[in-house]
Amino acid sequence: MPPSSEFAEIHDELRSVGRDLLARSAQQHDVDWKLLASSGWLGLEVPEELDGAGATFAEVAVIIEEMGRAATGGAYLGTVVLGVGTLLAVAPAPDRDELLRAVANGATTVAVALPTGDDLASGDLPFRIENLGDGLRLVGRADFVPDAAQAERLLVVAAGLEGRPVVVEVPPGSAGLTIEDQPVLDATRRVASVVADEVVVGPAAWWSFAGDAEAAVRGLVDRASVAIALDSLGIAEAMVELTVEYAKVREQFARPIGSFQAVKHQCADMLVSTTVARQLVGQAIAALVEGPGGDAEASVAASRAKSYATEAAMDVVGKALQLHGGIGYTWESGIHVFFKRAALDRSLFGSPTAHRRRLAARYA
Amino acid sequence: MTSSSSAPAVDLDAFRTSVRDWCAAHVPADWRAAQTGVSDDEFVRFQQDWFQQLRAAGWAVPHWPKEWGGGMAPAEQVVLYQELAAADAPRLVLAFVSLHHAASTLLEAGTDEQRQRHLPAILDGEIWVQGFSEPDAGSDLASLKATARREGDVFIANGQKVWASGAMHADWCLLLARSDPSAPKRKGISYLLMDMRSPGLDVRPIKQATGESHFCEIFLNDVEIPAANLVGPENSGWQVAQATLSAERGMTMLELAERLGNAGFKWLVELCRQPGPDGTRPIDDGLVQDALAGFETEITGLRSLCTDLVDRHEAGTAGAADASIVKLYYSELLQRMMDFGALQAGLAGHAVLQKPISSGWESGAWVLDFLGSWEWTIPGGSSEIQRTIIGERGLGLPREPVAS
Repeated sequence: MPPSSEFAEIHDELRSVGRDLLARSAQQHDVDWKLLASSGWLGLEVPEELDGAGATFAEVAVIIEEMGRAATGGAYLGTVVLGVGTLLAVAPAPDRDELLRAVANGATTVAVALPTGDDLASGDLPFRIENLGDGLRLVGRADFVPDAAQAERLLVVAAGLEGRPVVVEVPPGSAGLTIEDQPVLDATRRVASVVADEVVVGPAAWWSFAGDAEAAVRGLVDRASVAIALDSLGIAEAMVELTVEYAKVREQFARPIGSFQAVKHQCADMLVSTTVARQLVGQAIAALVEGPGGDAEASVAASRAKSYATEAAMDVVGKALQLHGGIGYTWESGIHVFFKRAALDRSLFGSPTAHRRRLAARYA
Repeated sequence: MTSSSSAPAVDLDAFRTSVRDWCAAHVPADWRAAQTGVSDDEFVRFQQDWFQQLRAAGWAVPHWPKEWGGGMAPAEQVVLYQELAAADAPRLVLAFVSLHHAASTLLEAGTDEQRQRHLPAILDGEIWVQGFSEPDAGSDLASLKATARREGDVFIANGQKVWASGAMHADWCLLLARSDPSAPKRKGISYLLMDMRSPGLDVRPIKQATGESHFCEIFLNDVEIPAANLVGPENSGWQVAQATLSAERGMTMLELAERLGNAGFKWLVELCRQPGPDGTRPIDDGLVQDALAGFETEITGLRSLCTDLVDRHEAGTAGAADASIVKLYYSELLQRMMDFGALQAGLAGHAVLQKPISSGWESGAWVLDFLGSWEWTIPGGSSEIQRTIIGERGLGLPREPVAS
């Protein structure tokens, strides 16, 4: 591990640039993808020989958190968090490398059909490859797949012929493949259902995971969970700041409402839970970066971070709405944007309860 | 590779092993049972003995400067407290004020003579008590009324102190008293070292909600304190107290967090594994599992918060409200965990009438521990005071208007 202070400097710089840039496109559905590419944020983890920066998830984490803070729209979750994560987990191959390069350059967008719900323990995948005698077919269904309806390239994590997970690329126009936008309350994110009804798969037309495939899939879900926790951390930070600034200037009974203990103490609680969330998320990032994908410690840290940070963010946004009073309940205030995003974060890739169930399985 | 953190001065793994081995050889296996229901004298003897064992190992005052017998690097102190907690070693409760508040006061603001007189004595077992709170000065400590009237070479102290933990065992007292009644309330207080054998002192234990009597009232009736025992300038006692309280680098909270994460959580899980009268185990209930996993998560967050605060104290980047965040979060997490323990212990928990002394705040006597957790949410700045500090110093929110 390089010394942490050296990284801290890089991260501070990345954060500062990121915040500035994202503030200009805040809460828009589609952040300027070319800008993301030219900033180097799409290929942070992509090896340098494939036009990336050769960095780690710790650097991607800085951008994810800032995107949560700005409630940024766009396909970063599908393309970088899930897409690059999946491509880096499979064994190197020329077509894989070309896709990574295209992502890093901003030339394409990717979605990955992974389990997005509460089943964290079974390892069951929503898709499988079947041999129907006249050839191989992909069958299965996943819901709430981030960015699937907009992405140019679709990767499906499926159980292979012997049950071992593999990654299949399915062109969006393939016969038997149906991708349908699923409108959700959070207007900053796009999710879709992906249905594969006997989609033809060429012989050996898939990528195998490097190493233990089950662990690799677990590692991807952990990565997704930590990314969502980071997003929620960013939301919580933004809401603490917004609320504190408002409480300093909004006056009632001839004094700033922030001078009332009933308001001040809730702001303090918002800061405390956000601070604790930051610690847990930090530990989860470190575990993902240091350990092999899907190792037990990284899964434990991911579950702690996902369950705590998403619940904390929901609580913080709720307090932000309350402390803003009537104005907070208006569409115009924009707090509803964070509320809906935090609520989706809480449910996506395993609810807090599901993650705690996974933690508690170790007590028996 | 420019960071100093990449080149630790000591081999932490080797140090961890040495502490672990030492604990295996020295921590009395049955001390909890042996220290349940003992007399005050036995408690004092046990604490003094354990303190001297730690002292012999070189670990009694790791946070003191090297010339006074300490000088351990913070990273090593963290390991020491982690391992003492993991081994469920007794805590140094009797010497707590001596080792932390008294020592930091003497080191930060005391004279050379005062340090020479007291720091070696503390290592030999001198016990200190804090004489700060009064019946009418709790959260609003600066409104204290006890007086210390200067008469030549002595101060004459009068008044009443309260919530003085361990005063019946104390040799010396850190006393805050008003030396200039005409000055504004934060400008007329002096900080004095008071010999507890002085004539005119009366110590009366207070029976607490738990039935124990650690806290005392101290009545001062024309107690003479030599002017040489003044700490810092006369009438600057409030500022001295503020400076010395903030000298705490987060290590005491780290120790408590480690205790909560080790014995505290393990026992809670163990408790939930015990079958109840109907043969079912709480741990098989999804709600119980959910709560335990939530506590595990929060304890992990707390421990991380504590090591982070120690690191930032070292780096000089600790924020004005950071200690308050840790204290508030620890206190309320402790309370929620002990509440849950009391609930899971069920009726049988109510038949546990005594808890071991010398333990952490989670002793396994769940109902008493639950009640005892208010000893964290009230003293040392109540949770309400901490939230106000976090709001004002941490977030910059406006102060409450002063009542006219």
